[in-house]
Amino acid sequence: MVVTREEVKHIGWLAKLEMSDAELQRYTTQIEEIINYLNKLDTIPLEQVKPIAIKKKFSELRKDSPENFEDAVLGTGYRKDGFVKGPRMV
Amino acid sequence: MPIYTLEAGQVVQGIKSKEFSAEEYISQLFERIEKVEPKVNAFVTLNKEEGLDRARRLDKKIRDGEQSGPLAGVALSIKDNICTKGMKTTCSSKMLESYIPAYDATVIKRLMAAGAIIIGKANLDEFAMGSTTEFSRHGPTRNPWDISRVSGGSSGGSAASVAALECAASLGSDTGGSVRCPASFCSVVGLKPTYGLVSRFGLVSYANSLEQIGPVGRTVSDVVSILNVIAGFDENDHTTTNSSKPTYSLQERKGLRVGLIKEFTEGADPGVSKMIYKAAETLEKQGCKCEEVSLPSVQYALASYYTIATAEASSNLARYDNIRYGFDMNPEGYEWNSYFARARSNFGDEAKRRIIVGSYVLSSGYYGKYYLKAHQVRSLLKREMETLFKKYDVLIGPTMPILPFKIGERIDDPLKMYLVDIDTVVANLTGMPAISVPAGFADGLPVGLQIMADQFAEQTMLDVAYLFEQAAKVQRSPEL
Amino acid sequence: MATTTKIGLEIHCQLTGAKSKLFCRCSSDYRGKAPNANICPICAGLPGTLPLLNQKTVEFAAMITLALGCKFPDEIAFYRKNYFYPDLPKNFQLTQYNAYGITSIGVDGRLEYGNGKDARIRRVQLEEDPGRLVYASGSMDTSLYVLIDYNRAGVPLVEIVTEPDFADTKDVRMFLDKITSIIEHLGVCDTKLEGSVRCDANVSVDGGNKVEIKNISSFADVEKALRYEITRQRTMTSREIQVRSETRHWDDARKVTKESRTKEEEQDYRYFPEPDIPLVMLGSEFVSFIKQSMPELPDTRKERFMSKYGLSAHIAQVLIGNKELADFFESTLMIYLSPKEIANWIVTDLMSFIDERQKKEEEEEEHSLFAGLKVGPEHIADLARLVDQDMINRATAKQILGQIIRTGEMPSALAKRMHASRIDDVSVLAQTVQSVFQMEQAAVQDARRNANVANFLLGKVMKITKGKADPKVALEMIQKKLKED
Ligand SMILES: [Zn+2]
Repeated sequence: MVVTREEVKHIGWLAKLEMSDAELQRYTTQIEEIINYLNKLDTIPLEQVKPIAIKKKFSELRKDSPENFEDAVLGTGYRKDGFVKGPRMV
Repeated sequence: MPIYTLEAGQVVQGIKSKEFSAEEYISQLFERIEKVEPKVNAFVTLNKEEGLDRARRLDKKIRDGEQSGPLAGVALSIKDNICTKGMKTTCSSKMLESYIPAYDATVIKRLMAAGAIIIGKANLDEFAMGSTTEFSRHGPTRNPWDISRVSGGSSGGSAASVAALECAASLGSDTGGSVRCPASFCSVVGLKPTYGLVSRFGLVSYANSLEQIGPVGRTVSDVVSILNVIAGFDENDHTTTNSSKPTYSLQERKGLRVGLIKEFTEGADPGVSKMIYKAAETLEKQGCKCEEVSLPSVQYALASYYTIATAEASSNLARYDNIRYGFDMNPEGYEWNSYFARARSNFGDEAKRRIIVGSYVLSSGYYGKYYLKAHQVRSLLKREMETLFKKYDVLIGPTMPILPFKIGERIDDPLKMYLVDIDTVVANLTGMPAISVPAGFADGLPVGLQIMADQFAEQTMLDVAYLFEQAAKVQRSPEL
Repeated sequence: MATTTKIGLEIHCQLTGAKSKLFCRCSSDYRGKAPNANICPICAGLPGTLPLLNQKTVEFAAMITLALGCKFPDEIAFYRKNYFYPDLPKNFQLTQYNAYGITSIGVDGRLEYGNGKDARIRRVQLEEDPGRLVYASGSMDTSLYVLIDYNRAGVPLVEIVTEPDFADTKDVRMFLDKITSIIEHLGVCDTKLEGSVRCDANVSVDGGNKVEIKNISSFADVEKALRYEITRQRTMTSREIQVRSETRHWDDARKVTKESRTKEEEQDYRYFPEPDIPLVMLGSEFVSFIKQSMPELPDTRKERFMSKYGLSAHIAQVLIGNKELADFFESTLMIYLSPKEIANWIVTDLMSFIDERQKKEEEEEEHSLFAGLKVGPEHIADLARLVDQDMINRATAKQILGQIIRTGEMPSALAKRMHASRIDDVSVLAQTVQSVFQMEQAAVQDARRNANVANFLLGKVMKITKGKADPKVALEMIQKKLKED
């Protein structure tokens, strides 16, 4: 087996995705199939090639001048005294 | 002929010459939408009041003799992953079902400044992850040529709305073929610009290093006029190229050298390949020189694409934790891990699958096996393409290896679904431009011709596209 | 049994010298603002936004890189560190990472920090600060929800990582003092602002497992946290209990290190290069630009103080150990050039007032050195001139300093007043005392029985002299006279 149920479960925890047992089962099967396909990458010999990358000069970076963003940014209604309410941190 | 059938160029002409008013045009379009939308389902949100309001203001401007812009009055649909200030941008996801952006994407600002009118937001696969527009919270967009079939995706709503004469043109986004695939399936023109030509500021990221916003229209000419407005450096996107703003035109050019990628035609359905060989003949008749060429590394292209796209997506989609924006779910009392996991379980199946695959390939110990190799493939492909572009002006092949299939046909087989992107991902992996133009019909279903060019060689690509379009004269919109 | 301790540090300093955040145009000055009033779509992690790297922060980080003797790579890149936490708007942190090739702004440095000791610097990197979490009903455990303020999210940080080159907490203190002085001299970080400098540490004892300590919110607490942790590990070792490799949190209130709730080992940050930030090419042109824009560093300044002003190594070290003090010194010289005299006044006398004030304060607060003291360079220059010109003696000068530090009066004005007012002539004062004794005979009798009444007589003397008598001298005279008669 290339991908185990335990691995998918651990990734679910890392990626914060709640999954039912049935979902876990289904995803494990499908993801194993996908990963099997991606494994063909491993058959290419590793070679030093020039990576595709966007490059900029220091002079092209954003100038350090502050600006206020005037419009409302946050879309949640769960607020208190300007703060955003989040879940418990225990 | 009703005015809603007009091409973008004709609309601008008609409104400026006061042949008809922008208000008449937009009203007619909304009538058309009302009529065909139940069959097509191309729109997620309609912008009727504001659209009509903008049309009236444009009419006044024209009466007052003021400047009205190169896209004056042109009705556009916008893929619902491009941020529109004050107008819902849902990405066809539960996670953003009530999300209203606080800012306009750069492309939206530029289109509005050019006088375009946004009439609504177009359907897509959730967060642009799909090739059929079936993975949408708002239901699938149907192919106007056969509503039992998929429209292609992920910009299915964009292509279908253009083909169904619900708007003049549209903006989609193309990460692995998401503009070209539905353009091909719906028999319209769809263009993916060179990476860095068009600003992505305001495009909800799926896979940042691969995607570009691109225009969809019924003619090459319409696609060019939109590209001319949206292209060029943007200080809000550091991946845009810092060079002078390009302007593209329609030129008649002879003697262009065309390479036909044999891996693409060999892998396609016979009906599709036949149309592509016919397209090559058409180009030869127009004075092009066509030859078969090979792109060996294409065998790794899909694996490379799905590694990079899912890796980037898994991280891009992390921000949807429902804390700052999202749907209504009170965080009080939840332990934070379980709140995040519960809220995020509202992603659709395909999004969840890609998050898991992306997290898997990035996880400890696998980086070299997948991610680094995937990048190596990008470089190899680019090298092979660059070599070919020394000999050929453009490379051609089918946009899609298959004909539009039935809705539901592949939805339960993710890998089988991924395989249909084989011909489109090359342009995204190499950053090179590509366009899909209607090539004709096989079994009564549209086939798209894909034309690819070297980086920033859009003009050459458009020359060939225009040449082919003028010669092939393929039908652009079906009876509905 | 001899024990060996190895300590390594991870220092975070906010680039408060930059005006805007690391990747957006919001102000980097988030302090004192209403919650979520200092945010924009980019730093709040709204869909569709892209990071826009702040040029100034690269410049500042490069200055720190040079100051710590680190090398630059040809290109710098940013990586996403993927983990979920409610203070992270994107649920990943943009930072730098060297596992797949060197792309952080600085690597492989070395910094000498005193007594001939030095520490190796592993890397210098730029990254973003997260938002801030506040517990509504005071405690993390009882709150039904947490309150989130994103004002700090995206504030530029430089992380400085050392090799485990420190053997004791005193070395750590000296090193941190040196770092503080360097970043102050560079003008990149105002270390006096609350939370602007933070430090994580790792400790191992006798070649045992390494323990990371996180959440130390100020440099002042680093020594405490380390001392606690070293003792904990030594106690375990002496009882032959193996120290576990783990991450512990410093509990600020209880002053202990505690086990963390989430195990670091379970995390997997899935680093990969940020596609939206181009590689930034540095190159020789950039390096020479940074070299040119480097202000004077503490070590060079110390040498200059010694060679140009003839100060001793010790005095010069004290001055450059704190940029405010060194700046104060040089501002004073601009007014009156008497380097040694002025240096002495600052290092011995002024510092004793500062130390005294600092002891009274809450130890966590890191105020300006001169907070609450009404003294400026002009005062010290004035004072030094008075002494140099023999207008007053050193003892009087000290007395004057003690007063003006509270009032802000110029020393020469005070000296003049004291001078004009003082009835220094003992015979004049004796006459006045004599006349008071004659006028107040009853009181004189009382005073012989009750020493306190002498103060009444002093009052009379002061009244007649209109306060011009030196009360100390007058009182002595009265007491002597009471015994005589
Ligand atoms: Zn901001």
